[in-house]
Amino acid sequence: MVREPSHVKASLFVTCIVDQFYPAVGESTVRVLRRLGVDVNFPSGQTCCGQPAFNSGFWADAKPVARRVLKMLRGDRYVVVPSGSCASMIHAFYPELFHDEPGSLAEARALAPRVFELSEFIVDVLGVTDIASYGESTGVPDLRKVTYHEACHLRRELGVTTQPRTLITSAPGVELVEAQESDVCCGFGGSFSVRYPDISGAMLQDKIEQLRETGAERFVSCDSGCIMHIAGGMERQKVDVRPMHIAELLDEYLDQE
Amino acid sequence: MTGNQTEFLGKLRRSLGRPTGAPPLAISDATALGRDAGEVVLRAESIRERAQEDADALADELETAAGLAGWKVARVASTQDAAGYIADLVRELEARSVVRSAQAVVERMDLEDVLSGAGVQVHAMAVREGSNEASADEQRSAMRQHAIDADLGVTGVHYAIAETGTCVLLPRKGTSRLVSLLPPVHVAIVERGQALPGLDEFFALQRADSIRGDLGSYMTLITGPSRSADIEYTIVTGVHGPGEVHMLLLG
Amino acid sequence: MDFNTVAAEALNDPNIQANLHGLYKGFHHARVDAAAATPGWEEMREKAREIKAHTTENLDHYLEMAAAAVTRAEGRVFFANTAEDASRYVIDLARSKGVEVVIKGKSMLSEEMSLNDRLAEHDIEPVETDLGEYIIQLAGETPYHIIAPAIHKTREEVAELFEEKLDVPRHHEIEDMAGEARRQLRQKFIEADMGITGVNYLVAETGTIVLVTNEGNGRMCTSMPRTHVAIMGMEKVIPSMDDLGIFLRLLIRSATGQRLSSYVTTVTGPKRHDDEDGPDELHLVVVDNGRSRLLADPELRESLYCLRCGACLNACPVYRKVGGHAYGWVYPGPIGAVISPMLTNLGDAKDLPHASSLCGACREVCPVKINIPRMLLYLRKELAQGETYPESRRSSVVERLLMKGWRLSIMNPLMLRLANKAALLAQWPLARRRRLTWLPGPMGGWTRYRDLPAIASRPFSKRWRKMR
Repeated sequence: MVREPSHVKASLFVTCIVDQFYPAVGESTVRVLRRLGVDVNFPSGQTCCGQPAFNSGFWADAKPVARRVLKMLRGDRYVVVPSGSCASMIHAFYPELFHDEPGSLAEARALAPRVFELSEFIVDVLGVTDIASYGESTGVPDLRKVTYHEACHLRRELGVTTQPRTLITSAPGVELVEAQESDVCCGFGGSFSVRYPDISGAMLQDKIEQLRETGAERFVSCDSGCIMHIAGGMERQKVDVRPMHIAELLDEYLDQE
Repeated sequence: MTGNQTEFLGKLRRSLGRPTGAPPLAISDATALGRDAGEVVLRAESIRERAQEDADALADELETAAGLAGWKVARVASTQDAAGYIADLVRELEARSVVRSAQAVVERMDLEDVLSGAGVQVHAMAVREGSNEASADEQRSAMRQHAIDADLGVTGVHYAIAETGTCVLLPRKGTSRLVSLLPPVHVAIVERGQALPGLDEFFALQRADSIRGDLGSYMTLITGPSRSADIEYTIVTGVHGPGEVHMLLLG
Repeated sequence: MDFNTVAAEALNDPNIQANLHGLYKGFHHARVDAAAATPGWEEMREKAREIKAHTTENLDHYLEMAAAAVTRAEGRVFFANTAEDASRYVIDLARSKGVEVVIKGKSMLSEEMSLNDRLAEHDIEPVETDLGEYIIQLAGETPYHIIAPAIHKTREEVAELFEEKLDVPRHHEIEDMAGEARRQLRQKFIEADMGITGVNYLVAETGTIVLVTNEGNGRMCTSMPRTHVAIMGMEKVIPSMDDLGIFLRLLIRSATGQRLSSYVTTVTGPKRHDDEDGPDELHLVVVDNGRSRLLADPELRESLYCLRCGACLNACPVYRKVGGHAYGWVYPGPIGAVISPMLTNLGDAKDLPHASSLCGACREVCPVKINIPRMLLYLRKELAQGETYPESRRSSVVERLLMKGWRLSIMNPLMLRLANKAALLAQWPLARRRRLTWLPGPMGGWTRYRDLPAIASRPFSKRWRKMR
């Protein structure tokens, strides 16, 4: 089934981590959205939303970066972001950043309602939950158990908890196994992971064990930062759970030929 | 108002950007403080009426919540039965000395009489009527020592709270603070109609009392035995207050 | 001792790690259950926050109201600007009464005042009566957690401590250790001349001091000695008796998950003339000690709403790794990361706002919805740029240059592409099968625990051309 091209127009804000480290996630995102009938464009000149400077307290450096993003995303298209933390930055924190600049504040407030994390967009805006039905096959071979890692900003700033789970379980034969302490941070936190590596590493160790104990073949997350951190640790320890961004999982659900 | 109060509050006003103090306080709707005094008193009356009407249902709720909170709860039909329960308890504990408040319900139990046969001392923690200052002080000293030495303390309550399984004591003349605190075991007698639905109802009554006069110096809300989880989360009881508490529901 | 050193000690101690993890399984989950079982919990949080906001905005009015009410009830009120002023008042009072032994209820404020040390300096014996505080007093340590001060200690450590300091045979069961504490402290309760407690809430309308305890030591401290001194952070005031139901539920259910603590005790003035027992004098000491700095800053004012329930500590994945001592002062955990620097010196405490992944769990559990992550970001901004507090700026030249460099690349896609090429070149000797297992300098913190994917040779922005 291919969804009829709809009137839904979206701009992809790809995020710096996906652009530089996981470009395949960007490709999957575009394919998935197109299969769902979305007219996707990619505003050129994208670099970063500015969160690293914002989180480090260098708001004077974050502001020009954010203003540039505001300008780039002007218009009336939806903005789809394959990352909970970057979507939060634009949606929730740009107004914080510009609290003392009325012009940019107004722009940020106007943009915020149009910004969505990918799974949120698919379920809440497109109204699609049975995503696998848009694919050709009846299941994904060799995939039985998946566990989901909940990114903090996605959960707490954007309130997105059920949408990714709904999409994950929409493929027949796939069982979602919840990990213990799934509401606890993995320890990435951006520069925190490098400023306080031992604390970050200790938090990571707990998370790796909890994910491994589920017996799942894959762990799925909506945030590439978390994936980089968790997968980086799993690889170091040769833990056999394959990391996947939700865009890649959905691409797999759809792209069976 | 002392000098340092003026200075202190002045600093707060400057911190809040109100150096002159004006405007005066405009009480927000969020707090109950702004409610009219008449309304508060009326509400209290209505709460008391409801407590009587719903006495049986509230007693059931209280029993359940109190059990969960660690009280040993028992229903007794009369003050004689209550005294009987205490006599059994005294035997079980091998208690030698009991202190009691001078509240009406406890007076009616006549514990001195009931326990005299068992060779148990019973001390009423109340200064005798008509005592002068010096005598009152002496009596208080003696009473304190009795409470320190006692194996069991018996009190009535002023209210009980069904929501949380709580007994409320309002120490004043005839109700000592120490009876329910110093001995290792405490028995509280709750009369029919003393149970209130919840904390909000209780504090509404207190507020009405404070509007009409003195609130009294002290209030203690007791919800189960004394406990602590300070060592490895392991709950231990009787760390300072009574480790064993009994609630007798009368009537 | 600096944050990282103390944090490392905690990280490397399996006993401490186990006990800290117990906070998640114990208090945190108990709180979740209690909140779920309380009808209207979310409405209560909202209401309490509104009340706190209103009270804080009118703190001068409410403290004035409270002081008048306490005075009407024949209590005495002293307003102390600093911890030192407060200590001096207490000591002068104690000395004027020939006090030799003071029994103390749990009070974090008394830690701010170093009150025990001050008392001891004047030959007055301070005795901590809360079991956790008693343990750390014997150990000569500071509290590890706002609610459970000795949570970092194993039963064996406590047993050894009692054996050594109390000169008693070694106990093996926790019940016996608690029994020992009860025995030791009972004598102190009886002989003490003065009881000093903290204050959980002060009801402005009636001048009523509210104490929340489980052990009964609060009742002892307010009933046995002749004089009761209550010391209070100035933000603890709430307007009305009628507000207490909400605030008690939120505090207690957030702290331990209990429907109500074993004891809630209220004090309105000293004993009345014909009370059977109780103290002859009540003194309330209201303390600022830097809180007016928080009050004066609209960005930080809501930190004064804190009920001191400890829920944010129990929910914080960082606190649960580094423990209470790493925070270096009286208040640990997320709320501590905001108020400890501001009540002492922000520049000296620069790790506290930064040692957080900003996960937001603290805000999620706070009974009065304090937005701690927002305040941490604000403090990070001050440490980086020093706008409101110029003397707090701590960012190094290197850091600022790196930020400028980052900004340059990010503002200009061409620059970013150049940076990408440079990175590809730099990583070439380090990358094995598109992974880096070692990075130099500060970036080495990453590779200590994790591999890093190599930078893609064709970033998405290049691949898009084929996809349009």
